[in-house]
Formats: sequence, C-alpha cells, structure tokens
Amino acid sequence: MSTINFAAREINCKIVYYGPGMSGKTTNLKHVFGKVPAHLRGEMVSLATEDERTLFFDFLPLDLGTVQGFKTRFHLYTVPGQVFYNASRKLILRGVDGIVFVADSAPNRLRANAESMRNLRENLAEHGIDVRDVPIVLQVNKRDLPDALPTNMIRSVIDPRQELQLFEATAHLGGGVFETLKTVSRLVLERLSQNK
Amino acid sequence: MIEPSLALYGDAFARVDRLLEELLEVTGVRYGLLVDRKGFVLSHKEALWAPRPPALDSVATLVASNAAATAALANMLGERTFSEQTHQGENGTLYVESVGDQALLTLIFDVAVPLGKVKVYARKSIVQLAAILEELKDIPPVQLDSDFSKGANALLDDLLG
Repeated sequence: MSTINFAAREINCKIVYYGPGMSGKTTNLKHVFGKVPAHLRGEMVSLATEDERTLFFDFLPLDLGTVQGFKTRFHLYTVPGQVFYNASRKLILRGVDGIVFVADSAPNRLRANAESMRNLRENLAEHGIDVRDVPIVLQVNKRDLPDALPTNMIRSVIDPRQELQLFEATAHLGGGVFETLKTVSRLVLERLSQNK
Repeated sequence: MIEPSLALYGDAFARVDRLLEELLEVTGVRYGLLVDRKGFVLSHKEALWAPRPPALDSVATLVASNAAATAALANMLGERTFSEQTHQGENGTLYVESVGDQALLTLIFDVAVPLGKVKVYARKSIVQLAAILEELKDIPPVQLDSDFSKGANALLDDLLG
C-alpha cells in the first residue's frame, strides 16, 4: 500500500518493472527519464555492473503533480532479471504498489519469460501476497525483432487466463513505454481511492 | 499489502519534525531524514547553515535498499538484524539506525562532528521516534474518494500523454 504522509501532504507509490534478464526493463526507465521534463522527475539511479546489467536496481522518481492537495509521486524501480539475483528481486518487491512485467519476444526467451513470471508469483507469495492482489500490466517488448514470437504465444506461458492488460512495445524506440506506465499508474491510483 | 505503510499525521508529523530539528541542533549534523523501509522520506530537516541537500528521494531509496540488503545478510548469519550502519568518507559520514521495524533514521554530517556524540543523541531520539511511530499503528486508513482518482488520471494524461 502506498505511503501517505498527511502532514506533508504526499502520496508515494512504488512501481516495479519485473521480467527476465535483458527483456528491456532498464530501457523502459531510460526512455521515461529521457522524455519526461526534468522538473517532473528526479535523478535516475542505476546500480549496474560494468557491462550495464542491473546488479541491484534502477530507480527513477516521477512527480505526477498535486491531486486534491496531495503531492503525488511515483517511484519506478527495475529488478535485476538474471536468475541468480533473486535475493535482490525479493527485496525490491517490498512495499510494491504496481508491477510492469516486461516479457521478451525473442523465441529463445520464451522459457525465461515463463520462469520469471513463476519467480514473481513465488516472491510475492513469500511476502504473503497473492499475485492477484497487486495491479500488474504485461508489456511484450522487442516487437521489432524479425523473429518475434506471436504475442498470444508469449501470453499463453505467462498469463494463460488472459487476466492482465497487455501492451506491445519496442522500448528502445519508446514504443509502448508510456502506455504501459500510464496503465499501471492508473490501476495503482484506482486502488488507492478504493482503499485496497 | 506487502509492507505496512506509515502515515504521518499532523501532530505526529510535527513531533517527528521537532525531534529531528533538536537532534540537528545538539549534534551539528548537516541533514537528518526519517525514511520508511520502502525508501520514502517521511520527514527531513537540514541545518540552517547547510548547503542544498543531495536528491533526498535517491538518498532515501538507497538507504532503505541498503538496510534491506543488510538485514537479509544478518538473517543469513543468524542475526535478527544489524541495527546500525556507518559509512565514513574523507569529508563526511552517513549514519543509519533502525527506528523499530518500520523506519530508519538517517544522519549525514561532516567529518569534524564526532560519531560517538551523534550516536548517543541519535539513540535518545530514536526511543522517542519509535514511540511516535508506534502510536500511528492505530490510525484508521486514509479515505480518498473517486474525485482523487479522476484528478490523478487527468494529471497522468498530462504527464504521459
């Protein structure tokens, strides 16, 4: 649940980009950082290895503005996608209000997509939360790959019941990035006003 | 809900603010923050003479993440937690100590300020801060109506198109 600071009149929401390694989570944040006016965003912090693989997380604060007297802010995080960084992923899910699951369209990453979604469910369960209790939006990235798998095939391994809103994206070109973020933000804000 | 959230209301917020202010005055600390475990700033104070602080959002996020990683490490080593962290540089010190299970007191100060003195006063303040945060557990959840959602959605359109 979001942190609401009444005296300072602030509402802070945490959105986490999850998904397999190299699926484009950091690329999403970099695009948002590059396009949102500087006065509405803070510094982007990246804890990455020398070859730019996320080691712990990327972080980007975004100011939405003032709603009914509350300064409303989103904190965007990415998790490290590589399998062996699970301890870090678990820590970053702490206090999450919304999740963007970034799937990779490459044929050889189909299994990685499925494993990452299973890992997300397990990590949420370890925090005592059902995956249905937190807003999740699915982004199928790298749609411009020449051998990109059909979206339905990717969805069938990560969201077989077709419960999640899905966006196709080419994050390195900015395609689908804002649409995804806007949708998950909206879902988070709706839950906030429903006091869930 | 994964992690309980703190909501600092009027009087509690004022008391936390006052405690931070007093701590800064008595110790000579440059910046003082109370950060929740999720990495959000609950309250912050800076000494009158201090230059503009670094990006507080980033400081809070890194402090909370660092504390979470340290706590995970503590568990692996059979400890419940490591309650304090001190990072000393050439020019300054970052001192972080747990305020119960919910928050972290973060103090940033120049190398001329004695760490021992900061620790002594910080621990006194932490007892009082923890008591204030404990009171907040009984506060009923905040009610935001659908107008909030509508207003926020309009701003989302402005921000993200």
